Amino acid sequence: MADKKKMSVAEIMAAARAQKAGTPSQGVPPAADAESTAADAATTQDSTAPESAAKPDPKPAAKPGAKAATGAGGRPSVAEIMALARSKAAAGATESAPKPTAPKAAPAAKPAVEKPAAKTAAKPATKPAVARDTASILAAARAGAKPGPVSKADAPPRPEVKKQVPERPAAERAPAKLAAAAVPAKPVKPAAKKGAEADEDRRGFLEIALGSFMAMGFTALSVTGGLFSLGLARYFFPNVLAEPPSRFKVGFKEGFPVGKVETKFVAQYGVWVVNSDVGGQQQVYALKTVCTHLGCTPNWLEAEQKFKCPCHGSGFYKDGVNFEGPAPRPLERYAIRLSDDGQLEVDKSRTFQEELGQWADPECFITV
Amino acid sequence: MEHLGTSLGPALGLFLSSSGTFLKDVAGFLGSYYTGIAIMNAVFALILWQKKKQTGWAIFWAVFASVMMILASLALSGSSTLVPGLPLASRHLVNRLSGPVLYTLGTTALFTILFVFRKFFVQPMVAWSVLNIALVLMGLSMADENFASIVMKPDNVPIVGLVFLLAFFTWVATKQAVVNDERIRQGLPPMEKLADEKVLVWPDLVYTELICMVGVSAFLLLWAICLPAPLEEPASSVKTPNPSKAPWYFLGLQEMLVYFDPWYAGVVLPSLVVFGLMAMPYLDFNKKGNGYYSIEERKFSYLVYQFGFFELWITLIILGTFLRGPNWNFFGPFEYWTPYKVEVLNNVDLPQMFWVNLLDQPLPRAPQGAGTLSQIGYILLREAPGLLLLGAYLVLLPPLLAVTVFRGFFAKMGFIRYMIMANLMLLMLTLPLKMILRWTLNLKYLVSIPEFSLNF
Repeated sequence: MADKKKMSVAEIMAAARAQKAGTPSQGVPPAADAESTAADAATTQDSTAPESAAKPDPKPAAKPGAKAATGAGGRPSVAEIMALARSKAAAGATESAPKPTAPKAAPAAKPAVEKPAAKTAAKPATKPAVARDTASILAAARAGAKPGPVSKADAPPRPEVKKQVPERPAAERAPAKLAAAAVPAKPVKPAAKKGAEADEDRRGFLEIALGSFMAMGFTALSVTGGLFSLGLARYFFPNVLAEPPSRFKVGFKEGFPVGKVETKFVAQYGVWVVNSDVGGQQQVYALKTVCTHLGCTPNWLEAEQKFKCPCHGSGFYKDGVNFEGPAPRPLERYAIRLSDDGQLEVDKSRTFQEELGQWADPECFITV
Repeated sequence: MEHLGTSLGPALGLFLSSSGTFLKDVAGFLGSYYTGIAIMNAVFALILWQKKKQTGWAIFWAVFASVMMILASLALSGSSTLVPGLPLASRHLVNRLSGPVLYTLGTTALFTILFVFRKFFVQPMVAWSVLNIALVLMGLSMADENFASIVMKPDNVPIVGLVFLLAFFTWVATKQAVVNDERIRQGLPPMEKLADEKVLVWPDLVYTELICMVGVSAFLLLWAICLPAPLEEPASSVKTPNPSKAPWYFLGLQEMLVYFDPWYAGVVLPSLVVFGLMAMPYLDFNKKGNGYYSIEERKFSYLVYQFGFFELWITLIILGTFLRGPNWNFFGPFEYWTPYKVEVLNNVDLPQMFWVNLLDQPLPRAPQGAGTLSQIGYILLREAPGLLLLGAYLVLLPPLLAVTVFRGFFAKMGFIRYMIMANLMLLMLTLPLKMILRWTLNLKYLVSIPEFSLNF
């Protein structure tokens, strides 16, 4: 729970107290009756630390201070920083933040309790490795520079602070008062009441003006956006299409001998014209050069008599039927017909898919 | 020298006589390569001797460094017969043995060995030896023209770097995890808790980042000057380069696409990878291992993640980069990438297997002129075996696992979290399962509905 980087002074003290728990007290505890209340408060909070809270070390500053000087090496330990802080804040020793979760302790008893407790806080020096991380050093340094709670969570409830240390809040408030004096006084209330109606009118005007401005803005935005997307949509219907015609002639039937895959139309039209035996019938058909897996262009391998896709290794027979690799369906056929002049004409605007039973359509092949 | 090479070469079985011009070209690089290894090991030996006082090891690595210097001088001798390389017979053997099955099973076995004996492999001397063996093997292989042409291609150089970098970082993390596991076993806090010092973002981190930025920019500039990326011919929609490869970081995806329909391997699986990575912190109920390396305390998470990352992503990238050639055929590391390699990869769908091969009857097919509904009915009947298998896998398996293997998980995670985890895991495992089915049964798709472009 108690993350080291967020260790507040109060938590360091609690840790010190917990550490002291086992050792017997060396002197008579000062202000014994005051302690009992603190001990009660502590028992409700932390079951491990009550004893230590009840038995603070009577003269802790000298011993741990010496230890810290030797143990911490070149670096100021938390204990040293704390000692420094304590010496600075000697006058208002009650400053050290009480347990944030123990606000119920009697305010009068507090100062008496806090004093010895604060002294015991020097104990961590006996174990310098405990809290030498940057965060806790910073926290300790901050506590030294401006004694008090580090965060809001650590802060004691306000009224108690006021009762405990009346000087400090007063000192703090003083500059605030000065600042307040420097600022011109606010208009008195009656004046505001007088102009209430006018104010409302002004606000109403603002509302209308702003509202209409917003409405205008959004209207303008949506109109511009609509026009812009219409303009974009216009790009889908260009005036001139630089595409090869979807119908083109590939030559006479005699140019496609039996068993031949004609690849010379691939570069321009993306078509193989094949003369092959399909289901006992000699046909000439046009295959689309797009792999049915992911759309790459397969290559016709004459030696292996197959179309092979370079992307994922799909393979198709000469009739376009897939047999290896991941391609899920056969290559598609384009429409083909015998034109009036006797040449074969391929129509790329219509495709025929085997898995839909469209290859039986006489428009996608020519019998020879 | 020429004479020495011809007489010594066959005796050692170390030299080769490949095409002379290539070897002359690569000899200069190999000379500096071996010199680099020698310097590296000499420095290592010096550190061992001076700082660590391990004289025995220092002598060993000094001797190794001098052997590397001998290899360097052989490479730089100017005679192509003296360039050290692997014997031809061994290269042929490697080519003949290698294939996707051996590669995948081999890498799985390798990772298993590395994991099981991690306490051995994290020792610095072992790791250093493995690094040196890998470097020397790579140098010897580089004398092969086919190997060098793939590995030294500017596109592929980052992948070579990736292999070594990943190995190094994994080694560092595993080493710390092994140390921590041992400490935890002894009841000590992990190493990371000892040096718990917090560091400030400014200036500590920002300065480090600035220096790294400058260094990396300089390195990338140098790289771009020394290894210019090759420009290819203008793009054309009807001409696909052969082999056609995705960017290197997507080669794992491309390999997945060999086994699946695009909608699954190209859309669903990548989305699931992202979704799964995002879901991880919410599925994880193990509070241990927070802020320190540990394998023992989070074995399940560690193994699942490493399997997904190394086995299903990194090894597939390496496979796609170095071993997939024209027509996406598998090529051995020393094989010439010919587009005319014939590989029999015929495969069939499950319905075909079930109805035709097993029951010896034609595929159920709707009669001519049947309505849409009856056609769908026939398709469902045709695909029944695959759909049932898939349904059992995704619907029955999670509850079954919940009461058997993952009983503890189910209890700790609750129904929804467990179901998400189980389904993510099962979907991840579809990839290796599909690979195995392809290799063993030549199975193409479990469910094949080309009518609606729905295949699995």
